[in-house]
Amino acid sequence: MDGACLELKQNAKAPIKDDLVLVGRAQAGDRVAFEALVRLYDRDVLRLTLRMVGSAEDVADLYQEVFLKVYRSLHRFRFQSSFSTWLYRVVVNVCLDHLRRQGRKMEVQGPGSEDDQPEFFQTVAEDRAALDPERQLQAKEIDGRLNEALKGLSPRERMVFELRHYEGLRLRTIGELVGASEDTVKNCLFRATHKLRAELVDLI
Amino acid sequence: MNCEEFERSATLYSYEELLPSETEAVERHAAECPNCREKLEQARRLHNLLGQRASRDATPELLVRCRQALEASLDREQFGWRRLLTDWMPLHPSRAAGTLTVIALAFGLGWMLRARSSNMQPSAKPAANQASMAGIDLGRISNVSQVAPDPGENKVFITVNAEHHVTLEGSVENPRIRQILLNAMRNYDNPGIRLDTLAALKSQSTDPAVKSALLNALGHDPNPGVRLEALRCVQAMDWGPSVEGALIEAVEQDSNSGVRVAAIDELVNHVLDERDEALLPALRKFAGQKSNAYVRMKAISALQTFEGAR
Repeated sequence: MDGACLELKQNAKAPIKDDLVLVGRAQAGDRVAFEALVRLYDRDVLRLTLRMVGSAEDVADLYQEVFLKVYRSLHRFRFQSSFSTWLYRVVVNVCLDHLRRQGRKMEVQGPGSEDDQPEFFQTVAEDRAALDPERQLQAKEIDGRLNEALKGLSPRERMVFELRHYEGLRLRTIGELVGASEDTVKNCLFRATHKLRAELVDLI
Repeated sequence: MNCEEFERSATLYSYEELLPSETEAVERHAAECPNCREKLEQARRLHNLLGQRASRDATPELLVRCRQALEASLDREQFGWRRLLTDWMPLHPSRAAGTLTVIALAFGLGWMLRARSSNMQPSAKPAANQASMAGIDLGRISNVSQVAPDPGENKVFITVNAEHHVTLEGSVENPRIRQILLNAMRNYDNPGIRLDTLAALKSQSTDPAVKSALLNALGHDPNPGVRLEALRCVQAMDWGPSVEGALIEAVEQDSNSGVRVAAIDELVNHVLDERDEALLPALRKFAGQKSNAYVRMKAISALQTFEGAR
């Protein structure tokens, strides 16, 4: 695993080398070190899960699931990859499982109501640059269209797209995170952009 | 490169995922083929459009909520049965079978006793090292050190190492349970647990000790979320000098604006609802303050409303 390829947007106060020290202490049972590790990465985890899931309640549940899995299996981390890569793999698996479960539920329940929208927007930090009401309305409409289009992707296409487009990870790294070859990931990205283009053709 | 190959490569081109030779081939084909040039332009526009999606950074409230819930889960994890199994058994594989046997034995004995027991409250006459069987969560017993049957009384005494592995079960109206909660509120360093404790004690605010603990939490708890929850508990109490004093102190001294705002709102509502003139000097003082605009405006507005209604 090429850990250097995975550039998480880390807290500037906490250099990457420190996380391995924290991991070592956490593996030895230091709860404070584990919580420091959580605080080092949990904004990144929340950002990705928010992009993937949207609902605040679901995101809070996924946050728990991710860090409890990390807590329970931290003793298996062997320092052969960067900790952030290992953590991201957990996040990716938890999100993919959630999307698959959600997909099955959606098939049964049909599309959600528009009532879901306010909760989502309350969850997301306000973008100060978009305080101009007209621009804000337009941006909100585009945002809604983009989110709807993204919901049309399969869980794996969605994950690959989010990681490449919004998290800026290289396809090779994404392949390692989702457990697929680089060619498979390229196909996923191609299918994802093809579907998105078809959905958003009137906006481009 | 033909047009079909180009379409596939255009996506990777827009993400800069092509090798230099492939990039060159895409650019050469686009220069020769107007249709493909348009497709490349379209891919670029789609790329830019998707970049307009709103930022998904979590609000501080969501972050705090997630962290507090995780702390509580980690507490359960650290002192729960899972920890026992994962930590102890791999280190002492030879003892694993024995431990399981002892736990199974304790569980079996407890199950029989539980079936016979009709009183689910903690013991009314607790000895220092004795707990009611009904109050212990048998799934969390980590160490049975002695089993002493007493056939004459149809009882058995099981001594366990209870530290960190006991769950007491009982009504919040039970003085022992309440005392444990009060201790947790004062001494426990996990804000998530203190928050849960507040929620459990909220209904008991007529008890002087609980009332004092809730007021103390409002004034002195280090976590603003806990202070805010304590303020909500205080709102449910009967009004009196101690409640009034705690709210005024919160407006004047709390370091968190959310707590100050909630406290001034509560004071103003009380003044307007109850026509309580005794609080007017405090409101006049807040109306002259320059440090907090919301508190000042709220106090001025309340005073005007109060005077206008006279």
